[in-house]
Amino acid sequence: MISATLRTITGRKGSFLGGTTFVLVTVVIVIAANIVLHELRPGRNPSMGGQGMLDGVGGALFIFGVVVAILIGSLAGSYDVAQGTMRYLVITGARRGQIYAARIVAVVLAVLLMLVVPVALGAILASALPHTAADSITSGELVDYVWTAVLFAVVFGLISMGIGSLLRSNGPAIAISLVFSIGFTPLLLLLYSLSETLGDATLASSLDRISGGDDGLPIAVAGVSVVMWVAVFLGFGAVRVHRDEY
Amino acid sequence: MAVADPIITLEGVSKSFGATQAVSNVSFQVMPGRCVGWLGPNGSGKTTLIRCMLGLARTTTGMITVRGHAIPGDVRQALTRVGAIVEEPRFYPYLSGKANLEVAAKFVGGDAATRIDWALERVDLVDRSGSKVKEYSLGMRQRLGVARSLLNDPELLILDEPSNGLDPAGIVEFRRMIRSFVEDDGRTVFISSHLLDEVQKMADDIAIVQSGKLVLHGSVDQLVAEGRQSMRLRVDDPVRAEETLYRLGLVTGIEQGEHGNLELTGERIDDAKAILITRSLVEAGVGVIEIARESESLEQRFLEITSGLPLEGEGERSS
Repeated sequence: MISATLRTITGRKGSFLGGTTFVLVTVVIVIAANIVLHELRPGRNPSMGGQGMLDGVGGALFIFGVVVAILIGSLAGSYDVAQGTMRYLVITGARRGQIYAARIVAVVLAVLLMLVVPVALGAILASALPHTAADSITSGELVDYVWTAVLFAVVFGLISMGIGSLLRSNGPAIAISLVFSIGFTPLLLLLYSLSETLGDATLASSLDRISGGDDGLPIAVAGVSVVMWVAVFLGFGAVRVHRDEY
Repeated sequence: MAVADPIITLEGVSKSFGATQAVSNVSFQVMPGRCVGWLGPNGSGKTTLIRCMLGLARTTTGMITVRGHAIPGDVRQALTRVGAIVEEPRFYPYLSGKANLEVAAKFVGGDAATRIDWALERVDLVDRSGSKVKEYSLGMRQRLGVARSLLNDPELLILDEPSNGLDPAGIVEFRRMIRSFVEDDGRTVFISSHLLDEVQKMADDIAIVQSGKLVLHGSVDQLVAEGRQSMRLRVDDPVRAEETLYRLGLVTGIEQGEHGNLELTGERIDDAKAILITRSLVEAGVGVIEIARESESLEQRFLEITSGLPLEGEGERSS
């Protein structure tokens, strides 16, 4: 069931193949920019690869990887209902909970598939291309780079899937997911003005903490906070899928 | 489940959407190995009831059992060997027909994947199975929908307007396929359609629903036989023929047309009555030039029942 769901997600050329290509292209552009800058002004840019390239690729993945993950997740949540295929999945006799659980796992796998090439490309080239000793990359930094790219994309992909599952149309699902992730999540940081604890428990702060940030909740508590945020959205989506009439 | 047990049972089933009563207190049974036509005007609640049978929608009151399992409580067991098309077959348009069946087979489980090629062959779609569904005509999608519904080797097929989009040749082929499911495979087919002529040729039994209420349920033959029937005669002496026929008291109306034409109407002009009529006319010295018995088609009966108005027009010639 997971492989079949993954096939329906990855088969959507616009959201998956197009999105994956888009992320890869942005990473390639960042890598190319580093190489060109080094060649043009080696004095000011002594490293072709190294930490500078890894930071640049990480930034591109953080922004565009998350956007494409939102696209993948929201469509995974809404598509079957919008397209009318959901009733045919239910008619197979599969439990609605199973269908939804398979979709969660498939979204995670699809996001990982989307990221694997650009993340690997960035890590390999940043490590392999010439760089100064000061710009060298430790294994811990490589782990942080991969973890941050995967964490943000998977979390926002799953939250978007929950939002998509609440809606019956693809357009609103994508729009609301983008608004929540890019607009509303940073806005929640205003809670710091009310209470530091509330601010620390926001999704953005908790994600920052478990992806290497120094301030905020203890890492374990921040991890629980992120899981809770994801669970709330997926939970609402699950209730909708369980109760809906198709 | 014993052979004689109904494959579908509805008891006092009602379904409301807010203040709108879509289905009202519907009860009937479908016996296995039959093709049942499910008829009703648009908005009469046909699809709503089908969705309730498949666990896609919840009933407001009443009880549904499919293959001896209660819906929705035991829907998983009930649907193990039920295939269906609801409203219209929907697929992942960016995947091929075969890939769509492969996806469906994963959800069905068991040995469904082994039936994909057989199902495609059964609906004559092998040649186009590698094409993306977005390139399919509506008729091809209907056939692919039937193929998908065969993946779990269903005892019961519930098909909602499956003839939509089929050309005349496709409709004839589809009818053959449905009859083959019933006669060769022993499956039960529950089919809703607005093509009444098709249902008459395809179904053994019919149920007619109007405004959410079941207004008639019985065999097609019985329903047609219960309709108005008439005889058209062309005789050499219409006046004497009319006198003779009124004396017999077998007909309720006689209408004289031109050139010796007579149209006789009666509740049930069966073979025995037809023989008696012609024999009496001959014995009375009336020359019978032409004789034809006519009965209402299912379409006429349907419109009569659902509109409450008798329909003028030609009946289907049955002899």
